[in-house]
Amino acid sequence: MSVENLKAYIESGVLELYVLGDLSPEEAAQVEEMAALHPEVRTELASIEEAMEQYAIQNAVDPSANVETKLLDVLGLNPEEEKIKIPVAAEEPKIIQLDTNNSKIKTLRYALVACVALLVVSIAALFVTYNKLTAAHNEIVSLNIDKQKFASNASKMEFENAGLENMIAMHDSKEWATIKLQGVKTSPSSKMMVYWNKENKSVLINYAAMDLPKTDESHEYQLWALVNGKPVSLGVFGSDDRAKEALVKMQTIEEAQAFAVTIEPMGGSINPTMEKMLVMGGV
Amino acid sequence: MSALKKSTLTEPELILALQQKDPAVLKTIYSMYSSALYGVISRIITHTELAEDVLQETFVKIWQSAAHYDQTKGRLFTWMMNIARNLSIDKLRSKDFKNSLKNQDIENNVSFVDEQNKVTFNPDVLGVKQLVSNLKPDLQAVLDLVYYKGFTHVEAAEKLNLPLGTVKTRIRMAIIELRRSFN
Repeated sequence: MSVENLKAYIESGVLELYVLGDLSPEEAAQVEEMAALHPEVRTELASIEEAMEQYAIQNAVDPSANVETKLLDVLGLNPEEEKIKIPVAAEEPKIIQLDTNNSKIKTLRYALVACVALLVVSIAALFVTYNKLTAAHNEIVSLNIDKQKFASNASKMEFENAGLENMIAMHDSKEWATIKLQGVKTSPSSKMMVYWNKENKSVLINYAAMDLPKTDESHEYQLWALVNGKPVSLGVFGSDDRAKEALVKMQTIEEAQAFAVTIEPMGGSINPTMEKMLVMGGV
Repeated sequence: MSALKKSTLTEPELILALQQKDPAVLKTIYSMYSSALYGVISRIITHTELAEDVLQETFVKIWQSAAHYDQTKGRLFTWMMNIARNLSIDKLRSKDFKNSLKNQDIENNVSFVDEQNKVTFNPDVLGVKQLVSNLKPDLQAVLDLVYYKGFTHVEAAEKLNLPLGTVKTRIRMAIIELRRSFN
């Protein structure tokens, strides 16, 4: 090849493309052949290569340090210390993750235990409260019963008090004669009082000073006056638990030698039933 | 932008040790050439993680195919650089890379932006500018396409709408300029 041709070949730019790896295998082989034959081509190629190498060095960028470690690891050339380092680094995040999970689970467990405890305490408190409420309810009921008892006692005492006051008043007055009726053979424990006004002849009985045996639903007491051996009815009266007033006014009688009480059917009888006589007393 | 770290070994000794797979030599080669190679890779692939993956793949390939390297055909660095560029361009054209661009998460975007600010991302403007500031724009455009974008000179001619001969000439002119600036 002539000097001119060789120069033209060098200046064609094919050597640069060869260094840049931009030639087909056939073209590359041709360049290599030329380089083997001509020292000028070899020199030119070396200059181009050096220029590109300098160009790369001038524009060098440091990769991160772990690339070398990874590379040595991939090729199985890494020193012992790095072998130890890597698994530790790989495991660390796992441990941290488990830790956070554990603490979360622990917290949740504590919360669950606290909830259960609170539930048990609440149920116990509810049960105690329910028992107390029932006891209070029962107490109220018994207090109400007591109250009713006291109320009825009070009204009974009022009733008796009125009767007694009246009795005292009549006893003091001169107008009234007090006749004591004593129990007869059929009921020896019976007794009662009859008050007879000498002026207007009216007759009163007082439940407060009365003790007669109980009658049934279909019977009541009947007061009689004995006038010259004949019984005269002065009216009927119920047993004391049915009475509304302590003092009851009976029929008037002009004249009487004695008074008596019998048990008669409701509404009274025309003639007294002698066997049912309870009390009797003379004037 | 450090210069090559000096080794006590000469290049032929280095090549011999590499071809005999001496584990110590890999560390030496890595410390000597990783930044220069990464400078090119990281300009082709701007995504830091992917660029570092390619750097790793490059050294794996250097290690595994050292036996195929023939000193008579060129310098060791030229051989390594072509491995790095070819792997970068393969990655750039792979499905993985296209997907990773679509699925970039926030974390990657942060390092991506950092990288942009810190070093040089756009070879048209930033990285090459420092070095070839006295390179004429039309020369620089051609060199960038071929060197950093993985274009063949044929593709570069189409892209720049220039005759093939012009592209070849401009590549040569650019490299001559570089040679001058280094001498």
